[in-house]
Amino acid sequence: MPSPVLKALSSRVPLARALSSRALSSRAGRRTVILAAAVLTAALLAVALVATFAGGGSSGVTYLDRNDTAVLYASGHRPLAPEFSSTTLAGAPMRLSSYRGKVVVLNFWGSWCDPCRAEAPALAAVARHYQPAGVSFLGVDERDSQASAEAFIRNFGVTYPSVSDPSQVIALDFSAVVPLAGTPTTLVIDPSGRIAGAVFQSATYSELTAILTKVTGKGG
Amino acid sequence: MTDVRAPETDPFDPAAEPDAPPRPGAASPAGGGFGLADWLKWAWRQLTSMRIALVLLFLLALGSVPGSMLPQANNPSAVQQYFASHPALAPWLNHLGLFNVFAAPWFAAIYLLLFASLVGCVVPRTFRLAGSARTLPPRAPRHLARLPRSAEYATPLPPAEAVEVAAGVLAGHGFRLRRADSASPEPADAGTWVSAEKGYLREAGNLLFHLALLGVLVSVALGGLFGYKADRLLVQGTTFADTASALDEFHPGRLVTAADLGPFTITLNRFDASYIASGPQRGQPSAFDAQVSYTEQPGGPARTGHLAVNRPLSIDGAKVYLIGHGYAPQFTVTDARGQVVYNAPTPFIAGPSGNLLSEGVVKVPDAQPEQLGFTGVFVPTAVDVGGTLESVFPAADNPVVSLIAYAGNLGMDNGVPQSVYQLDTGGMRRLTATPQILQPGQSLKLPGGRGTITFTGYVPWVSLAITHDPGQLPALICGIAALGGLLLSFMIRRRRVFVRARADKNGTTVQVGGLARTDASGGFEAEFASLAAELRTACQQGRHPQPEGE
Repeated sequence: MPSPVLKALSSRVPLARALSSRALSSRAGRRTVILAAAVLTAALLAVALVATFAGGGSSGVTYLDRNDTAVLYASGHRPLAPEFSSTTLAGAPMRLSSYRGKVVVLNFWGSWCDPCRAEAPALAAVARHYQPAGVSFLGVDERDSQASAEAFIRNFGVTYPSVSDPSQVIALDFSAVVPLAGTPTTLVIDPSGRIAGAVFQSATYSELTAILTKVTGKGG
Repeated sequence: MTDVRAPETDPFDPAAEPDAPPRPGAASPAGGGFGLADWLKWAWRQLTSMRIALVLLFLLALGSVPGSMLPQANNPSAVQQYFASHPALAPWLNHLGLFNVFAAPWFAAIYLLLFASLVGCVVPRTFRLAGSARTLPPRAPRHLARLPRSAEYATPLPPAEAVEVAAGVLAGHGFRLRRADSASPEPADAGTWVSAEKGYLREAGNLLFHLALLGVLVSVALGGLFGYKADRLLVQGTTFADTASALDEFHPGRLVTAADLGPFTITLNRFDASYIASGPQRGQPSAFDAQVSYTEQPGGPARTGHLAVNRPLSIDGAKVYLIGHGYAPQFTVTDARGQVVYNAPTPFIAGPSGNLLSEGVVKVPDAQPEQLGFTGVFVPTAVDVGGTLESVFPAADNPVVSLIAYAGNLGMDNGVPQSVYQLDTGGMRRLTATPQILQPGQSLKLPGGRGTITFTGYVPWVSLAITHDPGQLPALICGIAALGGLLLSFMIRRRRVFVRARADKNGTTVQVGGLARTDASGGFEAEFASLAAELRTACQQGRHPQPEGE
């Protein structure tokens, strides 16, 4: 935008007048300046608003609940589950890839985590129902102590193994592929080792059976 | 806003236009026929006025005060403490967002308004200043003797030549010149003239200041959009991974997701705190040292480092600060069936009474047949003062814990997350009438055969703040630039020297007049006197120095 001074200079208005403050505060000049400033401010605000509210919209993801916390990934949109090797609470070595070829329910939990305690009975029930059908269950015990974790397993009658992840590096690896924000999180991994479904909060029986029905192709 | 000086009334200078000129009638809403557009224009003019900008700036400063006086959400334990010690006041302060000031809507409102005000002021002013920096000096006034500084001398040179000599001298001093032109002829007796002006860097400095100020705001916004802050309490001997689920607090910027966290891991190998052992400052910390090892990626090569107060560790673009420390007493709990149901260090948080007297709770949700809970106090150097325990030194010279045991329902199994630092005793019975004191290695047998709790020892913990602020460096650069611009605009004066030569019966009389736009910085008097003397000498010698560039 040419400044009023330059405009005045190019139109050969006497310099003295052009340089006086009155010429600068002429209505036209002032209006242009105000308009430019207003447009700039509006543009900045618009950018900020778009930045704030734009989001999501990736395809291949079906939400099973209103809170968008239970999701199904369509085949072709399933993120590859990162491999890990760790030790179970019972002391046996364990690798995720040893489950290749099977549907695995991977549950991130902690004995200290209140929503994990709330979902534990439902998860144990789903495990009792689906384990005979060939679905494997594996827990990832986060930021926990051995004694507390073992007491939790005894208390809730958990029938499947858990690996210990006190420093949460397994959670770190998984957070790179799914929005894993804490415990509890339950992932359903398909036989090819890809994440087919997830519940990013305390899982209910119906959410888990809905995901497992889709992934295994068998009724719940 | 922000001409760095009070508006000056220089009739020649376009940059001196006062801010938000009061224009009776047109600008006052009281006038008749004031439509919506006029209201909007009026509001915009008010918003972009220096007065409002200063008010907003002041409000911003005022609004940040509670942010430094009150505990903030990035230090949840301190907030909890405040809630405990001010039960009536704290909920009100919380409603006003005073525990998270910098994220409060009212703070954002002030910030955005200030930003709009600055943009609305700086952008037009930038053009004005840029224009002003390019203008030529004004024409020389007729009567130079009326100017604040003036001198007069006679010379044998003809007027045109005398002016040329003066112009040469002034150009040699770096003045910008303007000579008489034919566009507006003057009366014959007015002689000929040259105008000179110097100190345009003042405008450049002013411009720099304004732009840098905008830059600071943009940098801060950049940090707010792309930065993050997180906190994590880390017990000695443990490791954490920088992922959302491992962080106690995570405050991402608007455009940051958990996936943007650097995938590093940090292990606290050892933490040492030393305290002043005697004198009036006894008990004050003298040094902290946290020995950590870290990997930039899980499975990557481990490096070691040291963290101290104000000596952060830089990992993968983030800075890790040591912001707190405390003790984590270790407890082992067996339940009524004799099974170990708890065996872990439990971070206790220092209370307000000082010397690291710390409070905490132990929750044993999987004890049988009933859940167990303990509230405890850890006393690093315990002294019995009239029946109550006090801590007389922050180092663990005589550590004891004092425990109250509860049994019943901890309220953890309904899924509502609760604080790990608070025990909800609503569904519990107290098992011990008085607090039970334990020294390391001692056990407390719970009544009714409900089990035992053993205080096995203690380890230190540290509290880490992980921050990433991409706006930090730009904000620093802009801050320095703003300061530089401010100094330039303060220290450099616009000053003008006019020379007018008239022929008279004895030859030529040369009048020199001088005008400094601001007298505040002083010194122009001396500069003008020496210039006038130099001009006189040059004319008398008939010297015609080569201009050394304008």
